Amino acid sequence: MSGTVFDIGYRSYTGVREGRGRSRLAIFKNGVRIAMGMGRGGRAKILPWTFIGILSFIGLVLALIAGAAERLAGPGATEQLNLPSHSDYYGISSLVLFLFAALVAPELLCRDRRENTIHLYLVRPLTGSDYVLARWAAFLTVMLFAAWLPQVILFLGLSMGDPAPAEYLRAHWLDIPRFLASGIAMAAYATTLAMLTASFTTRRAYASVFLIGLFVITTPFTAGLANEIGGKTGQWISMFSLTNIPVHVNDLIFGDVSEITEEAPARAFSAAGLVGWYLLWTLGPGAILWARYRRLSP
Amino acid sequence: MGSSEPLLVARDLSKRYGRVVALDGVGFSISAGVTGILGENGAGKSTAIKIFLGLLRPTSGSATVLGENASENVRVRARLGYMPEHDCLPSQVSAAEFLTHMAELSGLPPSVARTRAADTLRHTGLFEERYRAIGGYSTGMKQRVKLGQALVHDPAFVFLDEPTAGLDPVGREEMLTLVRKTHREFGISVLLSSHLMADVERTCDRIIVLRDGQLVQSGEVGHFTKETETVFLEVDTKRDELVIALRRRGIEAALDGGGLTIEGPDESVYDHVRDALVETQAPLRRMAPRRRALAELFERGPG
Repeated sequence: MSGTVFDIGYRSYTGVREGRGRSRLAIFKNGVRIAMGMGRGGRAKILPWTFIGILSFIGLVLALIAGAAERLAGPGATEQLNLPSHSDYYGISSLVLFLFAALVAPELLCRDRRENTIHLYLVRPLTGSDYVLARWAAFLTVMLFAAWLPQVILFLGLSMGDPAPAEYLRAHWLDIPRFLASGIAMAAYATTLAMLTASFTTRRAYASVFLIGLFVITTPFTAGLANEIGGKTGQWISMFSLTNIPVHVNDLIFGDVSEITEEAPARAFSAAGLVGWYLLWTLGPGAILWARYRRLSP
Repeated sequence: MGSSEPLLVARDLSKRYGRVVALDGVGFSISAGVTGILGENGAGKSTAIKIFLGLLRPTSGSATVLGENASENVRVRARLGYMPEHDCLPSQVSAAEFLTHMAELSGLPPSVARTRAADTLRHTGLFEERYRAIGGYSTGMKQRVKLGQALVHDPAFVFLDEPTAGLDPVGREEMLTLVRKTHREFGISVLLSSHLMADVERTCDRIIVLRDGQLVQSGEVGHFTKETETVFLEVDTKRDELVIALRRRGIEAALDGGGLTIEGPDESVYDHVRDALVETQAPLRRMAPRRRALAELFERGPG
């Protein structure tokens, strides 16, 4: 029995065209796929999934420690022993989150410019602002996934490890909006700084090295210098610890001090001052990033 | 928009980069079909295309495509395609994924985008290779992907900037056939930019010639190429006498290296050449039709 193969081939298209919204969504989806290594070779998946694994592992370890303490030392042991919990998680994992942003985020912008693919994007119904906002939103989404997933694991671990899970949920349900809000603060900050750095180079490696240097070096340097100098000047120097800036906001959201900011002189600033400083470091770079890409569309 | 209405209109279009004039008061219109924009490197072809696409703003004048200014109304770009001259393809993704993405970028729903990507890759001859990463493609295959991404969303008008750049003779032939087929079978109008006269002659209905940012020539390709026909006579001696003998017969001939060139000849010129050769006894080595080189054509100035 033989069949007939019909080569339909190229045809004219008379269907719906969804316009600029679809274009933005396409850039967003593509950005998420790049960040997660989807549709690419195995090597592209190693980096993002390793980081997500490490972050989740931290959440899992915290949950296991708390669960073991509750079982060994009785109900309420987590709080009595002051074991790390939701309010501490972002402080503990901040460096890993920032490294994730430093290594992965530049890929969303650098490669398009290095390979000139952006020239094809900008002749579609899309402006430079549309492009950069969609890319920023794409990496923010990935960062939120990386930030929230371990907190969800931790919450499930803590509630299931508690001898009275319903009681635990009733007492700690506020942790959910808190870690969601704090996760947004962490992710928006790291995403914006990483994307801005990436906008200055076509090489991902250069952007990553610069960002790692910025995050890894400034934290111990400012901490040491702030403690040595002390006083108001020390407090201001402490404000330049880039990894601590969103963690201070995390502390305000939870109404608790995380282990990483416990010794930071910047804590002496008012809540408005710390939030204002965070907004300056997030909205400022965001505005510069937007301005750089807005120029691409005349 | 009717088929006779112009799809592209440039009015007194100028673009300056500081003291450098890329386009200088250029005006033309392009209707449906395949139009070639011809010029040497730096003539202003790519600048004109970028202005039409809305990637650059003109210093003065206006450029509209499908009745819109693409830098003011980005929606019109959903009906435009662009194949740039330079490398622009992502190396890590497959052609199928890339074309699907580009179709979505032009506003097509995802399921339609996937189907059209496959159809377009079949049209450009890459269907069998569609799941391979583009980074591993040959130059010819990459040119086909570039053409594919320009067509995947079924544009009304497509700009092709040097589509045969870097291709071997076979690849070039195939690319020009694809370009011609794109208009003939699918009704997509094309503006093909090239510095190769032969590419434009073979593919285009009309031609626009730019030089140093100015419009030099424009018109139907048939008329244009006829105008450029010459006959070359290679003679060892008595060249001056032959020129005079031809002039007496009403034929202008110019000394050209080891022979003479006669411009725009009609059929009767061969009889006059024969008579002039007999009269002067000039030793003829070779007589052959010759197309003027592009560089020579440009030297003629605005026509």
